[in-house]
Amino acid sequence: MRSRDIPVVSAVAEAGADDRIFDSLLLVGPLVIGMIVVLGRSPVTEAVAIAYIAAFVVYTLYRGVQT
Amino acid sequence: MNKAVATVGRDLGRILEALGGLMLISLAVPIVWGEYFVLPALLVSALVPLGLGWLLYHRFKGAESPSRFHGMIVAASGWFSVGVFGSLPFLLIAWSVQLGVPGFTTPAQTATLAAFTEPLNAVFESMSGFTGTGLTMTDNEEVLPRTLQWWRTFTEWIGGVGVIVLTTAILSRPGSGSLTLYESEARSEKIHPSIVSTVRTIWWIFILFTFTSILVLWLAGMPIWGAINHGMTGLATGGFSITDNSIATYDSVAIDFVLIPIMLLGSIAFPIHYLILQGDLRNFYSDLQTRWVFGYMGIGSALLWAFLYFAGPYETPFSALRYGLFQFVSAATCTGFQTAVDATNVALGRWPSYAQLTVTFGMFVGGAAGSTAGGIKLIRGLTLAKGIRHQIADVFYPESAVRRLEINGRRLNEEEASREFMEAAIIVVLWITFLVVGTFLLLLTLPSGEYSLANVLFEVASAQGNVGLSSGITGPDSLPTIGKIAFLFHMWIGRLEIIPVLVMLRTIFKRGGFYQ
Repeated sequence: MRSRDIPVVSAVAEAGADDRIFDSLLLVGPLVIGMIVVLGRSPVTEAVAIAYIAAFVVYTLYRGVQT
Repeated sequence: MNKAVATVGRDLGRILEALGGLMLISLAVPIVWGEYFVLPALLVSALVPLGLGWLLYHRFKGAESPSRFHGMIVAASGWFSVGVFGSLPFLLIAWSVQLGVPGFTTPAQTATLAAFTEPLNAVFESMSGFTGTGLTMTDNEEVLPRTLQWWRTFTEWIGGVGVIVLTTAILSRPGSGSLTLYESEARSEKIHPSIVSTVRTIWWIFILFTFTSILVLWLAGMPIWGAINHGMTGLATGGFSITDNSIATYDSVAIDFVLIPIMLLGSIAFPIHYLILQGDLRNFYSDLQTRWVFGYMGIGSALLWAFLYFAGPYETPFSALRYGLFQFVSAATCTGFQTAVDATNVALGRWPSYAQLTVTFGMFVGGAAGSTAGGIKLIRGLTLAKGIRHQIADVFYPESAVRRLEINGRRLNEEEASREFMEAAIIVVLWITFLVVGTFLLLLTLPSGEYSLANVLFEVASAQGNVGLSSGITGPDSLPTIGKIAFLFHMWIGRLEIIPVLVMLRTIFKRGGFYQ
Protein backbone atom coordinates (compact mmCIF):
# COMPACT_ATOMS: atom_id res chain seq x y z
CA MET A 1 0.00 0.00 0.00
CA ARG A 2 1.41 3.36 -1.03
CA SER A 3 1.10 6.44 1.20
CA ARG A 4 -1.10 8.11 -1.43
CA ASP A 5 -3.65 5.31 -1.01
CA ILE A 6 -4.44 6.47 2.55
CA PRO A 7 -7.73 8.47 2.33
CA VAL A 8 -6.55 11.70 4.05
CA VAL A 9 -3.22 11.69 2.22
CA SER A 10 -4.85 11.12 -1.17
CA ALA A 11 -7.40 13.91 -0.54
CA VAL A 12 -4.59 16.33 0.39
CA ALA A 13 -2.46 15.29 -2.58
CA GLU A 14 -5.34 15.68 -5.03
CA ALA A 15 -6.40 19.09 -3.72
CA GLY A 16 -2.95 20.64 -3.43
CA ALA A 17 -0.32 22.23 -5.60
CA ASP A 18 1.10 18.92 -6.87
CA ASP A 19 4.01 19.22 -4.50
CA ARG A 20 5.08 16.60 -1.97
CA ILE A 21 6.80 19.05 0.37
CA PHE A 22 3.77 21.33 0.74
CA ASP A 23 1.49 18.31 1.04
CA SER A 24 3.75 16.92 3.77
CA LEU A 25 3.76 20.26 5.61
CA LEU A 26 -0.02 20.30 5.54
CA LEU A 27 -0.23 16.75 6.87
CA VAL A 28 2.42 17.32 9.56
CA GLY A 29 0.94 20.68 10.69
CA PRO A 30 -1.71 19.22 13.05
CA LEU A 31 0.87 16.88 14.56
CA VAL A 32 3.24 19.77 15.32
CA ILE A 33 0.44 21.83 16.87
CA GLY A 34 -0.80 18.80 18.80
CA MET A 35 2.72 18.21 20.12
CA ILE A 36 2.89 21.83 21.32
CA VAL A 37 -0.52 21.50 23.02
CA VAL A 38 0.62 18.36 24.86
CA LEU A 39 4.25 19.23 25.66
CA GLY A 40 3.95 23.01 26.02
CA ARG A 41 6.72 25.50 25.32
CA SER A 42 10.18 23.89 25.44
CA PRO A 43 13.39 24.09 23.40
CA VAL A 44 12.34 20.95 21.53
CA THR A 45 8.86 22.17 20.55
CA GLU A 46 10.27 25.59 19.63
CA ALA A 47 12.90 23.94 17.43
CA VAL A 48 10.22 21.85 15.69
CA ALA A 49 8.04 24.94 15.09
CA ILE A 50 11.02 26.90 13.76
CA ALA A 51 11.92 23.99 11.47
CA TYR A 52 8.33 23.91 10.16
CA ILE A 53 8.25 27.63 9.39
CA ALA A 54 11.76 27.57 7.92
CA ALA A 55 10.86 24.64 5.67
CA PHE A 56 7.79 26.49 4.42
CA VAL A 57 9.56 29.80 3.76
CA VAL A 58 12.79 28.39 2.34
CA TYR A 59 10.99 25.91 0.09
CA THR A 60 8.64 28.61 -1.26
CA LEU A 61 11.65 30.79 -2.09
CA TYR A 62 13.54 27.81 -3.54
CA ARG A 63 10.63 27.06 -5.88
CA GLY A 64 10.54 30.72 -6.86
CA VAL A 65 14.23 30.75 -7.72
CA GLN A 66 13.93 27.50 -9.66
CA THR A 67 10.99 28.61 -11.79
CA MET B 1 -44.38 22.88 -6.25
CA ASN B 2 -42.69 26.05 -7.47
CA LYS B 3 -39.42 25.12 -9.25
CA ALA B 4 -37.51 28.01 -7.70
CA VAL B 5 -38.55 26.99 -4.18
CA ALA B 6 -37.42 23.42 -4.87
CA THR B 7 -34.01 24.45 -6.19
CA VAL B 8 -33.40 26.95 -3.41
CA GLY B 9 -34.74 24.52 -0.78
CA ARG B 10 -32.45 21.72 -1.94
CA ASP B 11 -29.28 23.87 -1.85
CA LEU B 12 -30.28 25.58 1.39
CA GLY B 13 -30.68 22.11 2.86
CA ARG B 14 -27.11 21.26 1.88
CA ILE B 15 -25.80 24.44 3.50
CA LEU B 16 -27.69 23.69 6.74
CA GLU B 17 -26.36 20.12 6.75
CA ALA B 18 -22.83 21.50 6.44
CA LEU B 19 -23.50 23.91 9.33
CA GLY B 20 -24.75 21.05 11.51
CA GLY B 21 -21.62 19.10 10.61
CA LEU B 22 -19.42 22.00 11.76
CA MET B 23 -21.18 22.00 15.13
CA LEU B 24 -20.74 18.24 15.47
CA ILE B 25 -17.00 18.63 14.79
CA SER B 26 -16.90 21.31 17.50
CA LEU B 27 -18.13 18.77 20.08
CA ALA B 28 -14.46 17.75 20.40
CA VAL B 29 -13.63 21.10 22.05
CA PRO B 30 -15.76 20.75 25.21
CA ILE B 31 -14.56 17.17 25.55
CA VAL B 32 -10.88 18.24 25.39
CA TRP B 33 -11.43 21.19 27.76
CA GLY B 34 -13.73 19.28 30.13
CA GLU B 35 -16.66 21.65 29.56
CA TYR B 36 -19.20 18.83 29.61
CA PHE B 37 -22.07 21.15 30.57
CA VAL B 38 -22.11 22.57 27.01
CA LEU B 39 -22.45 19.16 25.34
CA PRO B 40 -26.29 18.94 25.40
CA ALA B 41 -26.65 22.52 24.13
CA LEU B 42 -24.10 22.05 21.37
CA LEU B 43 -25.61 18.72 20.34
CA VAL B 44 -29.11 20.20 20.09
CA SER B 45 -27.64 23.19 18.20
CA ALA B 46 -26.14 20.75 15.67
CA LEU B 47 -29.21 18.57 15.31
CA VAL B 48 -31.59 21.43 14.48
CA PRO B 49 -29.86 22.61 11.25
CA LEU B 50 -28.81 19.05 10.45
CA GLY B 51 -32.39 17.79 10.67
CA LEU B 52 -33.89 20.74 8.84
CA GLY B 53 -31.20 20.53 6.17
CA TRP B 54 -31.76 16.80 5.74
CA LEU B 55 -35.51 17.34 5.35
CA LEU B 56 -35.07 20.13 2.80
CA TYR B 57 -32.47 18.24 0.81
CA HIS B 58 -34.46 15.00 0.65
CA ARG B 59 -37.75 16.80 -0.05
CA PHE B 60 -36.26 18.64 -3.05
CA LYS B 61 -33.53 16.21 -4.09
CA GLY B 62 -34.61 16.07 -7.72
CA ALA B 63 -34.78 19.86 -8.19
CA GLU B 64 -33.22 21.50 -11.22
CA SER B 65 -29.73 23.03 -11.21
CA PRO B 66 -29.71 26.63 -10.01
CA SER B 67 -29.76 29.50 -12.50
CA ARG B 68 -28.04 32.80 -11.73
CA PHE B 69 -31.24 34.02 -10.09
CA HIS B 70 -31.52 30.90 -7.90
CA GLY B 71 -27.83 31.14 -7.04
CA MET B 72 -28.27 34.63 -5.66
CA ILE B 73 -31.32 33.60 -3.61
CA VAL B 74 -29.45 30.56 -2.26
CA ALA B 75 -26.43 32.70 -1.34
CA ALA B 76 -28.53 35.38 0.38
CA SER B 77 -30.89 32.99 2.18
CA GLY B 78 -28.05 30.56 2.94
CA TRP B 79 -25.92 33.21 4.64
CA PHE B 80 -28.94 34.53 6.52
CA SER B 81 -29.88 31.02 7.69
CA VAL B 82 -26.32 30.27 8.72
CA GLY B 83 -26.30 33.47 10.75
CA VAL B 84 -29.56 32.53 12.46
CA PHE B 85 -28.88 28.83 13.11
CA GLY B 86 -25.23 29.53 13.94
CA SER B 87 -26.51 31.53 16.90
CA LEU B 88 -27.91 28.42 18.60
CA PRO B 89 -24.67 27.49 20.42
CA PHE B 90 -24.47 31.02 21.90
CA LEU B 91 -28.13 31.04 22.89
CA LEU B 92 -28.40 27.51 24.25
CA ILE B 93 -25.07 27.49 26.10
CA ALA B 94 -25.90 30.83 27.71
CA TRP B 95 -29.28 29.45 28.84
CA SER B 96 -27.65 26.18 29.97
CA VAL B 97 -25.44 28.15 32.34
CA GLN B 98 -28.31 30.41 33.34
CA LEU B 99 -30.68 27.57 34.26
CA GLY B 100 -28.19 24.78 34.98
CA VAL B 101 -28.04 21.40 33.24
CA PRO B 102 -29.28 18.42 35.27
CA GLY B 103 -26.46 15.94 35.80
CA PHE B 104 -23.71 18.41 34.87
CA THR B 105 -21.75 20.91 36.94
CA THR B 106 -22.20 24.35 35.42
CA PRO B 107 -20.02 27.39 36.18
CA ALA B 108 -21.43 30.64 37.55
CA GLN B 109 -23.16 32.88 35.04
CA THR B 110 -21.17 35.90 33.86
CA ALA B 111 -22.50 39.19 32.50
CA THR B 112 -20.69 38.47 29.22
CA LEU B 113 -22.33 35.08 28.69
CA ALA B 114 -25.69 36.32 29.99
CA ALA B 115 -25.80 38.77 27.06
CA PHE B 116 -26.34 35.77 24.77
CA THR B 117 -29.57 34.80 26.52
CA GLU B 118 -30.99 37.58 24.32
CA PRO B 119 -31.59 35.94 20.91
CA LEU B 120 -30.73 39.15 19.02
CA ASN B 121 -27.29 39.30 20.64
CA ALA B 122 -26.68 35.64 19.77
CA VAL B 123 -27.70 36.16 16.14
CA PHE B 124 -25.54 39.30 15.98
CA GLU B 125 -22.49 37.36 17.21
CA SER B 126 -23.13 34.53 14.78
CA MET B 127 -23.66 36.81 11.78
CA SER B 128 -20.60 38.83 12.77
CA GLY B 129 -18.59 35.61 12.89
CA PHE B 130 -19.71 34.04 9.65
CA THR B 131 -19.42 37.29 7.70
CA GLY B 132 -15.92 37.75 9.11
CA THR B 133 -16.83 41.08 10.67
CA GLY B 134 -15.69 40.68 14.25
CA LEU B 135 -17.94 43.23 15.96
CA THR B 136 -19.03 41.60 19.16
CA MET B 137 -21.76 41.52 21.78
CA THR B 138 -19.30 40.35 24.45
CA ASP B 139 -17.83 42.59 27.12
CA ASN B 140 -14.99 40.26 27.99
CA GLU B 141 -14.19 37.34 25.72
CA GLU B 142 -11.80 35.83 28.26
CA VAL B 143 -14.64 34.66 30.52
CA LEU B 144 -16.53 32.85 27.78
CA PRO B 145 -16.43 29.04 27.86
CA ARG B 146 -13.63 27.73 25.62
CA THR B 147 -16.27 26.09 23.46
CA LEU B 148 -17.82 29.45 22.61
CA GLN B 149 -14.39 31.01 22.10
CA TRP B 150 -13.76 28.22 19.60
CA TRP B 151 -17.18 28.54 17.94
CA ARG B 152 -16.63 32.26 17.38
CA THR B 153 -13.24 31.53 15.85
CA PHE B 154 -14.54 28.64 13.76
CA THR B 155 -17.42 30.71 12.33
CA GLU B 156 -14.94 33.33 11.13
CA TRP B 157 -12.54 30.78 9.74
CA ILE B 158 -15.28 29.05 7.74
CA GLY B 159 -16.96 32.31 6.76
CA GLY B 160 -13.67 33.77 5.53
CA VAL B 161 -13.50 31.30 2.69
CA GLY B 162 -17.26 30.98 2.36
CA VAL B 163 -20.13 28.79 3.45
CA ILE B 164 -20.94 27.82 -0.13
CA VAL B 165 -17.28 27.12 -0.88
CA LEU B 166 -17.31 24.76 2.10
CA THR B 167 -20.54 23.10 1.03
CA THR B 168 -19.26 22.67 -2.52
CA ALA B 169 -16.00 21.17 -1.26
CA ILE B 170 -17.49 18.55 1.04
CA LEU B 171 -20.92 17.92 -0.44
CA SER B 172 -19.85 18.51 -4.00
CA ARG B 173 -22.13 18.14 -6.94
CA PRO B 174 -20.46 18.27 -10.34
CA GLY B 175 -21.94 20.44 -13.06
CA SER B 176 -22.80 24.04 -13.71
CA GLY B 177 -24.92 24.37 -10.53
CA SER B 178 -21.84 24.48 -8.30
CA LEU B 179 -20.29 27.23 -10.43
CA THR B 180 -23.45 29.34 -10.23
CA LEU B 181 -23.56 29.04 -6.45
CA TYR B 182 -19.83 29.72 -6.16
CA GLU B 183 -20.16 32.94 -8.18
CA SER B 184 -23.12 34.07 -6.08
CA GLU B 185 -20.93 34.13 -3.00
CA ALA B 186 -18.91 37.08 -4.27
CA ARG B 187 -16.30 34.84 -5.95
CA SER B 188 -15.40 34.48 -9.59
CA GLU B 189 -11.80 33.30 -9.67
CA LYS B 190 -11.00 29.78 -10.82
CA ILE B 191 -7.80 27.87 -10.13
CA HIS B 192 -8.76 24.76 -12.09
CA PRO B 193 -11.36 24.24 -14.84
CA SER B 194 -13.50 22.27 -12.37
CA ILE B 195 -15.16 24.32 -9.66
CA VAL B 196 -15.04 21.42 -7.19
CA SER B 197 -11.26 21.12 -7.70
CA THR B 198 -10.94 24.89 -7.33
CA VAL B 199 -12.69 25.01 -3.97
CA ARG B 200 -10.71 22.03 -2.69
CA THR B 201 -7.47 23.77 -3.63
CA ILE B 202 -8.68 26.95 -1.91
CA TRP B 203 -9.19 24.92 1.28
CA TRP B 204 -5.80 23.24 0.85
CA ILE B 205 -4.09 26.64 0.68
CA PHE B 206 -6.15 28.03 3.54
CA ILE B 207 -5.43 25.11 5.88
CA LEU B 208 -1.68 25.14 5.10
CA PHE B 209 -1.51 28.88 5.79
CA THR B 210 -3.54 28.42 8.97
CA PHE B 211 -1.00 25.97 10.43
CA THR B 212 1.84 28.30 9.49
CA SER B 213 0.09 31.30 11.05
CA ILE B 214 -0.59 29.43 14.30
CA LEU B 215 3.04 28.36 14.64
CA VAL B 216 4.43 31.81 13.83
CA LEU B 217 2.18 33.42 16.45
CA TRP B 218 3.17 30.81 19.03
CA LEU B 219 6.84 31.42 18.30
CA ALA B 220 6.24 35.17 18.74
CA GLY B 221 5.16 34.45 22.30
CA MET B 222 1.41 33.91 22.17
CA PRO B 223 0.06 31.00 24.25
CA ILE B 224 -1.00 28.09 22.02
CA TRP B 225 -4.78 28.50 22.57
CA GLY B 226 -4.48 32.16 21.64
CA ALA B 227 -2.26 31.29 18.67
CA ILE B 228 -4.79 28.76 17.36
CA ASN B 229 -7.69 31.20 17.66
CA HIS B 230 -5.90 34.33 16.45
CA GLY B 231 -4.09 32.45 13.69
CA MET B 232 -7.44 31.28 12.35
CA THR B 233 -9.27 34.59 12.69
CA GLY B 234 -6.26 36.61 11.49
CA LEU B 235 -5.83 34.62 8.30
CA ALA B 236 -9.58 34.65 7.70
CA THR B 237 -9.42 38.45 8.19
CA GLY B 238 -12.21 38.03 10.74
CA GLY B 239 -10.82 39.65 13.87
CA PHE B 240 -12.58 37.88 16.73
CA SER B 241 -10.30 37.57 19.72
CA ILE B 242 -10.36 35.43 22.84
CA THR B 243 -9.04 38.25 25.00
CA ASP B 244 -10.73 41.32 26.42
CA ASN B 245 -8.61 43.90 24.60
CA SER B 246 -8.04 42.03 21.34
CA ILE B 247 -4.34 41.88 20.40
CA ALA B 248 -3.53 44.78 22.73
CA THR B 249 -3.91 42.31 25.61
CA TYR B 250 -0.53 40.81 24.74
CA ASP B 251 1.10 44.27 24.41
CA SER B 252 3.87 42.62 22.41
CA VAL B 253 5.75 44.26 19.53
CA ALA B 254 6.68 40.82 18.15
CA ILE B 255 3.05 39.63 18.05
CA ASP B 256 1.90 42.91 16.48
CA PHE B 257 4.45 42.65 13.67
CA VAL B 258 3.93 38.91 13.11
CA LEU B 259 0.21 39.44 12.64
CA ILE B 260 0.74 41.98 9.84
CA PRO B 261 1.90 39.43 7.20
CA ILE B 262 -0.79 37.00 8.37
CA MET B 263 -3.52 39.58 7.74
CA LEU B 264 -1.89 40.50 4.41
CA LEU B 265 -1.91 36.84 3.36
CA GLY B 266 -5.65 36.78 3.99
CA SER B 267 -6.20 39.78 1.76
CA ILE B 268 -4.45 38.31 -1.30
CA ALA B 269 -6.54 36.32 -3.78
CA PHE B 270 -6.32 32.52 -3.56
CA PRO B 271 -5.33 31.98 -7.23
CA ILE B 272 -2.31 34.21 -6.61
CA HIS B 273 -1.36 32.16 -3.55
CA TYR B 274 -1.59 29.06 -5.69
CA LEU B 275 0.71 30.50 -8.35
CA ILE B 276 3.18 31.70 -5.71
CA LEU B 277 3.26 28.24 -4.09
CA GLN B 278 4.00 26.85 -7.53
CA GLY B 279 7.08 29.07 -7.65
CA ASP B 280 5.75 32.02 -9.64
CA LEU B 281 6.84 34.72 -7.18
CA ARG B 282 6.49 37.41 -9.86
CA ASN B 283 2.79 37.54 -8.98
CA PHE B 284 3.67 39.61 -5.92
CA TYR B 285 4.20 42.53 -8.29
CA SER B 286 2.80 41.42 -11.67
CA ASP B 287 -0.74 40.93 -10.37
CA LEU B 288 -2.47 44.30 -10.17
CA GLN B 289 -4.43 43.64 -6.99
CA THR B 290 -1.52 42.06 -5.11
CA ARG B 291 0.76 44.94 -6.09
CA TRP B 292 -1.83 47.34 -4.77
CA VAL B 293 -2.37 45.36 -1.56
CA PHE B 294 1.19 46.33 -0.68
CA GLY B 295 1.16 49.73 -2.39
CA TYR B 296 -2.02 51.11 -0.96
CA MET B 297 -1.45 49.65 2.47
CA GLY B 298 2.04 51.16 2.47
CA ILE B 299 0.72 54.59 1.49
CA GLY B 300 -2.21 54.42 3.93
CA SER B 301 0.00 53.30 6.80
CA ALA B 302 2.55 56.05 6.09
CA LEU B 303 -0.21 58.65 6.05
CA LEU B 304 -1.70 57.35 9.29
CA TRP B 305 1.74 57.25 10.89
CA ALA B 306 2.26 60.92 9.96
CA PHE B 307 -1.16 61.88 11.43
CA LEU B 308 -0.52 59.95 14.62
CA TYR B 309 3.01 61.19 15.16
CA PHE B 310 3.00 64.82 14.00
CA ALA B 311 -0.50 65.77 15.09
CA GLY B 312 -1.78 62.85 17.10
CA PRO B 313 -1.54 61.08 20.38
CA TYR B 314 1.81 59.25 20.08
CA GLU B 315 5.04 60.81 21.23
CA THR B 316 7.62 58.56 19.59
CA PRO B 317 7.93 57.70 15.87
CA PHE B 318 8.06 54.00 16.74
CA SER B 319 4.81 54.06 18.73
CA ALA B 320 3.06 55.87 15.89
CA LEU B 321 4.48 53.32 13.44
CA ARG B 322 3.57 50.33 15.58
CA TYR B 323 -0.05 51.32 16.14
CA GLY B 324 -0.62 53.17 12.85
CA LEU B 325 0.75 50.37 10.65
CA PHE B 326 -1.10 47.65 12.55
CA GLN B 327 -4.42 49.48 12.60
CA PHE B 328 -4.32 50.48 8.95
CA VAL B 329 -3.44 46.95 7.82
CA SER B 330 -6.05 45.53 10.20
CA ALA B 331 -8.67 47.89 8.72
CA ALA B 332 -7.73 47.61 5.06
CA THR B 333 -7.49 43.82 5.17
CA CYS B 334 -10.86 43.96 6.98
CA THR B 335 -9.51 41.93 9.90
CA GLY B 336 -10.43 44.19 12.79
CA PHE B 337 -7.79 43.24 15.35
CA GLN B 338 -7.21 46.14 17.66
CA THR B 339 -4.00 47.25 19.34
CA ALA B 340 -5.06 50.85 19.88
CA VAL B 341 -7.01 50.64 23.14
CA ASP B 342 -6.92 52.78 26.26
CA ALA B 343 -5.52 49.96 28.40
CA THR B 344 -2.11 50.16 26.71
CA ASN B 345 -2.09 53.38 24.63
CA VAL B 346 -4.86 55.49 23.00
CA ALA B 347 -8.16 53.96 21.87
CA LEU B 348 -9.07 54.23 18.19
CA GLY B 349 -12.27 56.08 19.05
CA ARG B 350 -10.15 58.82 20.65
CA TRP B 351 -7.77 59.26 17.72
CA PRO B 352 -8.14 62.56 15.82
CA SER B 353 -11.06 62.54 13.35
CA TYR B 354 -8.80 62.64 10.28
CA ALA B 355 -6.89 59.59 11.58
CA GLN B 356 -10.19 57.75 12.12
CA LEU B 357 -11.33 58.72 8.62
CA THR B 358 -8.06 57.41 7.15
CA VAL B 359 -8.79 54.07 8.80
CA THR B 360 -12.40 54.29 7.55
CA PHE B 361 -11.12 54.74 4.00
CA GLY B 362 -9.05 51.56 4.41
CA MET B 363 -12.17 49.69 5.53
CA PHE B 364 -14.12 51.05 2.57
CA VAL B 365 -11.63 49.87 -0.07
CA GLY B 366 -10.72 46.53 1.55
CA GLY B 367 -8.46 43.83 0.08
CA ALA B 368 -8.27 41.85 -3.14
CA ALA B 369 -11.30 40.26 -4.78
CA GLY B 370 -11.01 36.49 -4.39
CA SER B 371 -9.46 36.78 -0.93
CA THR B 372 -11.08 36.60 2.50
CA ALA B 373 -11.18 40.41 2.83
CA GLY B 374 -14.25 42.67 2.64
CA GLY B 375 -14.85 46.26 1.52
CA ILE B 376 -15.60 47.21 -2.09
CA LYS B 377 -12.40 45.33 -3.09
CA LEU B 378 -9.25 46.74 -4.64
CA ILE B 379 -10.07 45.70 -8.20
CA ARG B 380 -13.29 47.73 -8.14
CA GLY B 381 -11.51 50.79 -6.80
CA LEU B 382 -8.83 50.42 -9.46
CA THR B 383 -11.40 49.81 -12.22
CA LEU B 384 -13.22 52.97 -11.20
CA ALA B 385 -10.02 55.05 -11.00
CA LYS B 386 -8.71 53.79 -14.35
CA GLY B 387 -12.17 54.10 -15.94
CA ILE B 388 -12.55 57.72 -14.83
CA ARG B 389 -9.06 58.55 -16.12
CA HIS B 390 -9.92 56.83 -19.40
CA GLN B 391 -13.14 58.83 -19.77
CA ILE B 392 -11.44 62.14 -19.03
CA ALA B 393 -8.54 61.42 -21.39
CA ASP B 394 -11.06 60.59 -24.12
CA VAL B 395 -11.67 64.30 -24.64
CA PHE B 396 -8.07 64.76 -25.84
CA TYR B 397 -8.32 62.13 -28.61
CA PRO B 398 -10.07 62.44 -31.99
CA GLU B 399 -13.50 60.79 -32.14
CA SER B 400 -12.23 58.19 -34.59
CA ALA B 401 -9.48 57.02 -32.20
CA VAL B 402 -9.75 53.39 -31.06
CA ARG B 403 -8.78 53.26 -27.42
CA ARG B 404 -8.43 50.34 -25.02
CA LEU B 405 -8.68 50.30 -21.26
CA GLU B 406 -6.00 48.10 -19.72
CA ILE B 407 -6.82 46.45 -16.38
CA ASN B 408 -4.60 43.76 -14.86
CA GLY B 409 -3.03 42.80 -18.20
CA ARG B 410 -6.38 42.65 -20.01
CA ARG B 411 -7.00 45.12 -22.86
CA LEU B 412 -10.70 45.92 -22.86
CA ASN B 413 -12.55 47.35 -25.85
CA GLU B 414 -15.08 50.14 -25.46
CA GLU B 415 -18.01 47.81 -24.69
CA GLU B 416 -16.09 45.62 -22.22
CA ALA B 417 -14.61 48.65 -20.48
CA SER B 418 -18.01 50.25 -20.20
CA ARG B 419 -19.54 47.06 -18.72
CA GLU B 420 -16.80 46.55 -16.13
CA PHE B 421 -16.84 50.22 -15.19
CA MET B 422 -20.61 50.10 -14.78
CA GLU B 423 -20.48 46.95 -12.60
CA ALA B 424 -17.85 48.49 -10.33
CA ALA B 425 -19.76 51.78 -10.16
CA ILE B 426 -23.03 50.07 -9.20
CA ILE B 427 -21.42 48.26 -6.26
CA VAL B 428 -19.62 51.38 -5.08
CA VAL B 429 -22.74 53.54 -5.33
CA LEU B 430 -24.82 50.96 -3.46
CA TRP B 431 -22.08 50.57 -0.86
CA ILE B 432 -21.94 54.32 -0.22
CA THR B 433 -25.74 54.60 -0.21
CA PHE B 434 -26.14 51.95 2.48
CA LEU B 435 -23.23 53.48 4.41
CA VAL B 436 -24.93 56.88 4.44
CA VAL B 437 -28.37 55.44 5.32
CA GLY B 438 -26.83 53.33 8.12
CA THR B 439 -24.92 56.32 9.48
CA PHE B 440 -28.08 58.45 9.45
CA LEU B 441 -30.09 55.72 11.21
CA LEU B 442 -27.45 55.23 13.89
CA LEU B 443 -27.15 58.97 14.50
CA LEU B 444 -30.91 59.04 15.05
CA THR B 445 -30.93 56.15 17.53
CA LEU B 446 -27.78 56.81 19.57
CA PRO B 447 -27.93 59.17 22.56
CA SER B 448 -27.23 62.64 21.19
CA GLY B 449 -23.79 64.09 21.81
CA GLU B 450 -22.22 60.82 22.95
CA TYR B 451 -20.52 59.92 19.67
CA SER B 452 -19.12 62.09 16.89
CA LEU B 453 -20.03 61.75 13.21
CA ALA B 454 -16.56 60.27 12.61
CA ASN B 455 -17.25 57.63 15.31
CA VAL B 456 -20.60 56.66 13.75
CA LEU B 457 -19.32 56.61 10.16
CA PHE B 458 -16.38 54.52 11.34
CA GLU B 459 -18.64 51.97 13.06
CA VAL B 460 -21.04 51.57 10.12
CA ALA B 461 -18.16 51.25 7.62
CA SER B 462 -16.66 48.65 9.94
CA ALA B 463 -19.88 46.60 9.95
CA GLN B 464 -20.52 46.90 6.23
CA GLY B 465 -16.89 46.32 5.28
CA ASN B 466 -16.89 43.20 7.52
CA VAL B 467 -13.97 44.68 9.45
CA GLY B 468 -14.86 44.68 13.14
CA LEU B 469 -12.87 47.64 14.44
CA SER B 470 -14.95 49.62 16.87
CA SER B 471 -14.99 53.22 17.97
CA GLY B 472 -16.79 52.02 21.10
CA ILE B 473 -20.39 52.02 19.89
CA THR B 474 -20.98 48.27 19.46
CA GLY B 475 -21.82 46.37 22.62
CA PRO B 476 -24.76 44.54 24.18
CA ASP B 477 -25.93 47.65 26.02
CA SER B 478 -24.37 50.54 24.09
CA LEU B 479 -25.84 49.66 20.69
CA PRO B 480 -29.65 50.15 20.54
CA THR B 481 -31.84 47.33 19.21
CA ILE B 482 -32.46 49.17 15.93
CA GLY B 483 -28.72 49.59 15.56
CA LYS B 484 -28.16 45.85 16.10
CA ILE B 485 -30.75 44.96 13.46
CA ALA B 486 -29.26 47.52 11.05
CA PHE B 487 -25.76 46.14 11.65
CA LEU B 488 -27.01 42.59 10.96
CA PHE B 489 -28.18 43.87 7.59
CA HIS B 490 -24.92 45.77 6.93
CA MET B 491 -22.80 42.69 7.73
CA TRP B 492 -24.99 40.48 5.55
CA ILE B 493 -24.96 42.75 2.47
CA GLY B 494 -21.26 43.53 2.97
CA ARG B 495 -20.28 39.86 2.82
CA LEU B 496 -22.32 39.12 -0.31
CA GLU B 497 -21.50 42.40 -2.05
CA ILE B 498 -25.09 43.66 -1.79
CA ILE B 499 -26.68 42.47 -5.06
CA PRO B 500 -27.77 38.92 -4.00
CA VAL B 501 -29.47 40.31 -0.90
CA LEU B 502 -31.34 42.93 -2.94
CA VAL B 503 -32.39 40.25 -5.45
CA MET B 504 -33.74 38.09 -2.61
CA LEU B 505 -35.58 40.96 -0.94
CA ARG B 506 -37.09 42.05 -4.25
CA THR B 507 -38.27 38.48 -4.87
CA ILE B 508 -39.84 38.25 -1.42
CA PHE B 509 -41.55 41.63 -1.71
CA LYS B 510 -42.74 40.96 -5.27
CA ARG B 511 -44.10 37.49 -4.58
CA GLY B 512 -45.51 38.63 -1.27
CA GLY B 513 -47.47 41.28 -3.15
CA PHE B 514 -45.92 44.12 -1.16
CA TYR B 515 -45.65 46.49 -4.12
CA GLN B 516 -48.26 45.41 -6.56
